[in-house]
Amino acid sequence: MSDEEQNYSMFSSRILVDTIGDVTDDALKASGMKEIIGVLAGRLFNWGQRKSLFPLHLGIKCCALEMAAAGASRFDAERFGVFFRSSPRQCDVLLVNGPISKKFADPITRLWEQMPEPKWCIAMGECAISGGPYFQSYNILEGVDTIIPVDIYIPGCPPRPEALIDGFGKLREKIIRIGAMPSHARIDGTSPVIIGDD
Amino acid sequence: MGPQHPMTHGLWTLKIKVDGETVVDTEPELGYIHRGVEKICESRDFTQITTYCDRLCYASANTWSHAYIYAAEDLLGVEVPERAEYIRLIAVELQRLASHLMWLGAYGPDIGNLSAMVWCLREREMMMDLLQELGGSRMHYNFPRIGGVKRDLPTGFALRARHKVKLFLNRMQEYEALFDESTIFLIRSQGVGYTKAAEMVNAGVSGPNIRAAGVNYDIRSAHPYSVYSEFDWEPAVERSSIKGADCYDRYRIRMEEMRNSANLVLQALDKIPGGAETYHEPGDPKILAKSPSRAPEGTSGSHHFEDSRGESMFYIAGGGDGRGKKPYRVSIRSPMFITIPYAAKTMIGYKVADIPAIMGSFDPCIGETDR
Amino acid sequence: MRVVSEKTQSAAAEKIAKSLSKMDGVKASVDERTNGTQNRYIVTVDVDVENWRATAESLRNDHEVDYCSMITGIHWPESEEKTWEIIYHFLRTGVTDPAIEEGVVVPNIVDFSKVKGKNVPLELQISIILGETRTPSVASVQDIWVGADWNEKETWDLVGIVFEGHKGMRRVLNPHESPAGFHPLQKQHKLRYHDYEEMYDDAQGFKRKPTDVGKVK
Repeated sequence: MSDEEQNYSMFSSRILVDTIGDVTDDALKASGMKEIIGVLAGRLFNWGQRKSLFPLHLGIKCCALEMAAAGASRFDAERFGVFFRSSPRQCDVLLVNGPISKKFADPITRLWEQMPEPKWCIAMGECAISGGPYFQSYNILEGVDTIIPVDIYIPGCPPRPEALIDGFGKLREKIIRIGAMPSHARIDGTSPVIIGDD
Repeated sequence: MGPQHPMTHGLWTLKIKVDGETVVDTEPELGYIHRGVEKICESRDFTQITTYCDRLCYASANTWSHAYIYAAEDLLGVEVPERAEYIRLIAVELQRLASHLMWLGAYGPDIGNLSAMVWCLREREMMMDLLQELGGSRMHYNFPRIGGVKRDLPTGFALRARHKVKLFLNRMQEYEALFDESTIFLIRSQGVGYTKAAEMVNAGVSGPNIRAAGVNYDIRSAHPYSVYSEFDWEPAVERSSIKGADCYDRYRIRMEEMRNSANLVLQALDKIPGGAETYHEPGDPKILAKSPSRAPEGTSGSHHFEDSRGESMFYIAGGGDGRGKKPYRVSIRSPMFITIPYAAKTMIGYKVADIPAIMGSFDPCIGETDR
Repeated sequence: MRVVSEKTQSAAAEKIAKSLSKMDGVKASVDERTNGTQNRYIVTVDVDVENWRATAESLRNDHEVDYCSMITGIHWPESEEKTWEIIYHFLRTGVTDPAIEEGVVVPNIVDFSKVKGKNVPLELQISIILGETRTPSVASVQDIWVGADWNEKETWDLVGIVFEGHKGMRRVLNPHESPAGFHPLQKQHKLRYHDYEEMYDDAQGFKRKPTDVGKVK
């Protein structure tokens, strides 16, 4: 074995790294630091998550114009940290603002699955909640919660931009409560929040 | 370019075949928000259908509900009082103004001019406040009724409308400065997407898209309806280039149309019979005429209407459920349904980077396309 | 503002109606609609399905009808005279490309109060009636008016009327995976909750989703 290989093998040895990790872990647990770090880090991440929710730049139907108005200068949503991103890989929140047709059920599930955890879903407007005025249609699903777990429902046809911003506020409160539970574990556990249901 | 894409003004897919950077073939894929409105309307009363027609093209809701109401009045044979026609004209032209502002606010970011969106949405909020006073809600007003309108101009509306529309007319210069003095906008929109008038008419395109190509065909003057003939205005026409109308011409025509609509609103407020300050209670015969609620089998009504995007049309066949209380068939003609395939063919030969510019200049709105 | 006068429109409508009625299988008349601020004169034409292609070509070539507005298909399962009705709406616009003088385009500003002859704008409504048949079909006019192309696709997709000679027929509004033969606007397909009792039985609105069956609010 040459000198280089010997040096590398010493520092990259899995056994060595694992041992150091276990020792540090036990030390932190013993002194109670691990819990403190966990709580502080959790609070920090939670604060970061809820103060900078990035919704996806997805406009399905009329509520998309109210979403655009909420992002514009009169009802500025950006001062709350809400900034629309185009790529699903960079988003936290899927804001569903229109009826989901059978043709679009597949793409929207793919968008939902492309979003990395932690992620939340907001159903905006009547069409996304329950099919809306088109509940009798042959092509519209009765609500987006038939295919995606929804956290916040914002009623209205279309909801005013102030209602949308309030919806984001309620989502922030919900994030404080549930933290960053992965979405598939959230279906039965937490009940969705309905705006106006105080 | 898939359904979730910032370029697409609405939810549709454009499949593009490219050779390097040049577009060789395109095929649009619509139907992502097909709600089956035509089928749903077969089990709704005539007054209930107005709410669905607002939501057909959500950027320009009043024009669609008025298009339906004119066709329903044709079917049921109702005469509309003159004051109601003036109020409808004010609502439709304000909505046309708001719709073109929304287009401009979406077209700027397509080209790269992000401040356009914020400016245009600010103006649009002014117009939406006016429309909210008239109709009651910010976007879907359900404003016209068969035989008239649902309520009169509120007190003080004329004052506020004149003030806001004049303010908007002054601000138009800022918009033109923002776009016309921006080299990037000029480079990206001039010389791109040439279309000629006669070819467009054969392909079913109408409205501002053909007026940008140097012809002044407008449904309001060719097949006159409502009280447009009593005003002093001409449809906006744009002198295009030899090869046809490019994206810049389509942008300029909508700016002129915004001015036209604003002037029409100001003239209507001056000329409305009874004055803009008098207020009639809802249901007063001066603003709402009595209308029958049943259409027997064998009757039909149709109406061509100048929508913000072209010529829209409703065809209603009477004689449905409830001994004629519901229509048997409502058929909706959407200008964008026909324009989008034509616009997709216009893109052949240009670069991929020109696609948002060309597509945006035709002003697509997928709500009406997918009915 | 200069608009087309009623006299010119009604005169032009009468002219077309007379000339179309001379073709066989065609019955044309002028319908006067009086409900607007100005009377409208619509040329209503009834064509037999065999003569449709010839009529369409005559409309385009002889009468310069250049704009196909809409194609509607209606299913009348309970009517005695007709089972399928296909209604075409056309407009004659009188639009021509603007002239080019010395390398500059001169916009074609038409004074609508003074149009005459083949430039008078007109509305046409053409109705084709088919009897009882499982495959209603009509000749396609895709090559005469490009605007009829997607209208025909939509009519086939929603109503089920086959257009002979149409190239590239496909589903445009319904999903591509819709079963062949599923044409939602035919009358045997009912809306969800078409019978109201089904909706009122479920007053809480719970049974709409499969996971909610059995729940009580």
